[in-house]
Parts: sequence; C-alpha cells; structure tokens
Amino acid sequence: MAIAGLTIIGESINDSVPSTKKLFDAGDEAGILELARSQDQGGAAYIDVNVGPRSPQFMAEMVRKVQAVTAKPLSIDTPDPETAHSALEAYDPAKAGGQKPILNSISALREGMFALLQVRPFRPILLVSEQVIDGRSRPCRTAAETHAAARYLVGKARALGLGNADCIIDPGIAPIGSDSEGNLKRLIEAMRLIHADAELAGVHMSVGLSNFTVMLPSKRADGSPVKGPLENAFLTKAMPLGLDMVIGSVKRKYELLPADHPAMECIEECLKLDGFEPIMRVRDFYS
Amino acid sequence: MADPKELYDAILTGNAKKAEAVTKEALAGKTNPGELVSKYMIPAMDEVGKRFECNEYFVPELLIAARAMKTALELITPHLIAQGVERAGRVVIGTVQGDLHDIGKNLVASMLEGGGFEVVDLGVDVPPEKFVEAAKEKDGTVVALSALLTTTMTMMRTVIDALQKAGLRDKTKVMIGGAPITQQFADEIGADGYSDNASSAVALARKLVQ
Repeated sequence: MAIAGLTIIGESINDSVPSTKKLFDAGDEAGILELARSQDQGGAAYIDVNVGPRSPQFMAEMVRKVQAVTAKPLSIDTPDPETAHSALEAYDPAKAGGQKPILNSISALREGMFALLQVRPFRPILLVSEQVIDGRSRPCRTAAETHAAARYLVGKARALGLGNADCIIDPGIAPIGSDSEGNLKRLIEAMRLIHADAELAGVHMSVGLSNFTVMLPSKRADGSPVKGPLENAFLTKAMPLGLDMVIGSVKRKYELLPADHPAMECIEECLKLDGFEPIMRVRDFYS
Repeated sequence: MADPKELYDAILTGNAKKAEAVTKEALAGKTNPGELVSKYMIPAMDEVGKRFECNEYFVPELLIAARAMKTALELITPHLIAQGVERAGRVVIGTVQGDLHDIGKNLVASMLEGGGFEVVDLGVDVPPEKFVEAAKEKDGTVVALSALLTTTMTMMRTVIDALQKAGLRDKTKVMIGGAPITQQFADEIGADGYSDNASSAVALARKLVQ
C-alpha cells in the first residue's frame, strides 16, 4: 500500500527500462499493455508513456492502445514537441474520467512546449534543474538557482492560465551512488525553499524516484534490500518538504521510515558530508 | 620503503590516502614511475573493471577507485613527462548541444582519467565546433559524446559531420554513449564505438587508440 498523500506515476512503460525496451523492439504490444494493466491495478494514479526515439505516430498509437486498457490518465513522457503534440492529440480525456494528462516535461530549454496547451489542456511537469541565463543554458547547481527556475516556469504557466495546482515541479534527483557534487543537498534545500514560498503555494512536487538508487546493487551484504529502503528514506525526508508525487514503481512498498532506520541514518549523514564522502557512506550502507 | 603492491590494493579498495602515501614513498625510494603505472595501477583499474562487469563492484566502487588512481597519477605524471612517457591517449569528452545531463559523462571522464588517459572535459551543451576545436589540437584524439535525450542524440551525427568537414575524421575516433544510445544508432551515424557503461568505455577508448 502506498503512502497516504503520495501520488504514483507508474514508470514501467519507458524505453529506457531495459525489459520494456525489449518489448518495444520485439513489437510485443500485449506485453506493453500488460504493464499498463498491472500498474493500474497496482495503484498507479497515472501511467507514464515514454517510447524513446520512436516516431510521433508510434507514440500516438501507443497512447490510444494504453487508454484502451486503463481508465487512469497518462503521463506523456517525451522532450520532443512533435511527439508530445501527437500524443496529446491522441489522448482521450473521456477515457480517463475527464482527467487531463500530464506532460513530462517542460524546462527552461524547451519553453516552447507550453504552446501545446492549445492542442489539449495538460498538467505540466516543470523540470527546474535546468536554467537559461542571458541566453546561456546550464544546470542549476544551487538550491537558490533551482528555486528561481521554479518561480520562473510557474510564472510562465500562470501567464497561460494554469493555476499553481496544475503545476508539478520536478527539482531533479540524481543517483546517490555518484553524488560527489552535493546534489542531494541542493535538492532537499531547493524543496524547502519551494515549499516555503507563498508565490508557489499549492504546486505539486515530483521526482523520478528510481533514479536515486540507479547503479547501486539490489542487496546489502546481509541480503536485505538496498534500493527500496534508500528510496523510502528519501521520501521520509522529502515529503514534509512538499514532495507529493513520484514517477516510480508500483512494485515498491513505499513507506516512511523511523529516524533510526539504517537507510535513514545513511541519508541524514550523506546530507552532512562533502565531496566523495556521501558515495563512500552509501557504499558502507550496502557493504 | 613501501611495497608498491600496496598501491594496487589501495586503488582496488579506493583508498585515496593510502594510494597517495604509497606513491610518495615509492617515488622517494626511486621506484620507476612507469613501472608503478604499468605493473600496479593499470592492473588495479583493470581488476576494478572486471569486478564491475561481474556485479561484484558497482558505480560507487568505480568512482572511489578512479579517485585513488587519479590521486596517485597526479603525483606520478610530472615524473612520466620528464621521462618522455606518453599518456594512454587523449580524450575530448562532452555532452552534446542542447543537453545538460552530465552524470554519465562525468562518470566516464573519471574512469578514463583513472585509466591513464588525458581527459579534456568540455562540459555540457557543447556545440559541434567546440569538439572540432579541441580535436584539432592533437591527432589521434578520441572524441567521446554523451546524450540523454532522444531530441539531442541526433546532435552526435552533427558532430561527426563537423569533424568530417574540418578534415579531422580520419585522424579522430568517435565514441558515444547515453541512455537512448544503442550500437545500432552508433553504426547508423558512423561512430567508431559505443559503450553502455563507464567501465567498458575505458576498454573501448584503449581499443580505439591502438
């Protein structure tokens, strides 16, 4: 059972998931649609659809087929405006109880995708880990930059008639196993700033939670799991700061952890460490 | 005097402080710096790569070992230069224009440095002409391109075309990687190699500079 107040966008229909890519490459439509059904039944509130570099027509077809087997709204996951356009055209709100789809995602580098609101209303995921300053694009390296990027994109969305509650801010999560640049610290502090900002009251926040533990082993030396507890520790830390959505797995048993849980202690310590020390602390957690 | 074998162990376990101490002691004891690299350091990184391939090591171990290797190499490099010993090769690496993702690129850059390569990291959102400019500086350069987005991966072909136009394609090798990249895509755009992880990227770069 998921955590109360946490909305899950089911992540499985994504070309970057190796087992799903195999299904796409093999043209195994039944396999893909089974992923839609199982995520629906497993508690996903949205079904993410990412077809990788395949054509806009393929994406549109996939949207129609997935909607034929689930009444959950979709999260249209592509950085390509044409693919997003085709997907939004194909999306039928009536099949999702009138609910709008999510568009994953718009960033300062692709603001033009707001124009797709004319195709069909959607809830944008606003990727605020990227910024454009004086015409130059670069990643947000600090919490203050991330917060400023959130204000900027939410401002753009509001100017187009969206409300704060339509906006889903993604402050960008990075793998903890390679975090030598303080990204976790930036993320947590950015969420704190966004959550405390009256201008941004009512926005939702989401991350691609599986990215947090990618590249780590599945089991600790004692045979207990690595990824689930670390992801839960992140949720425990982030939900009080306004995180209320994740692109994640319905197979994970998401739960909040007590402060003395080893994964919680690991994350708390990582937040106090610098340079390579968080990576070494994570290694110690699973070794 | 420290046993140089300890340098092998220090790199394998990612103990940068130990690697530094053993290297300093070995150099003070007149151990041949080239021998330190070829007999202990590169074999240690090769072993790290093997352990990664068989899921005994994971990305944290790779990064920590590469840092220990880099720490030792920084001490040894001036001695190698004085002896006229060449680096394993030169790699110009960057995330292509329009793409700001750098985690995979940084990981590969760290492993290449640990593998004894001279690495020129151009950063993210790198326009094709920057790759050309950097490749011009030395024949035999490997250009390593990273992309995470389906909308930016096509920029890899643009970089290869730019190298061709500049007359550098025959003198340069191009390797590519990133989440949406496949061997098929590498073949389609005429890249010389593709790697799906940081460890095998080092083996690929070694193969390309041979």
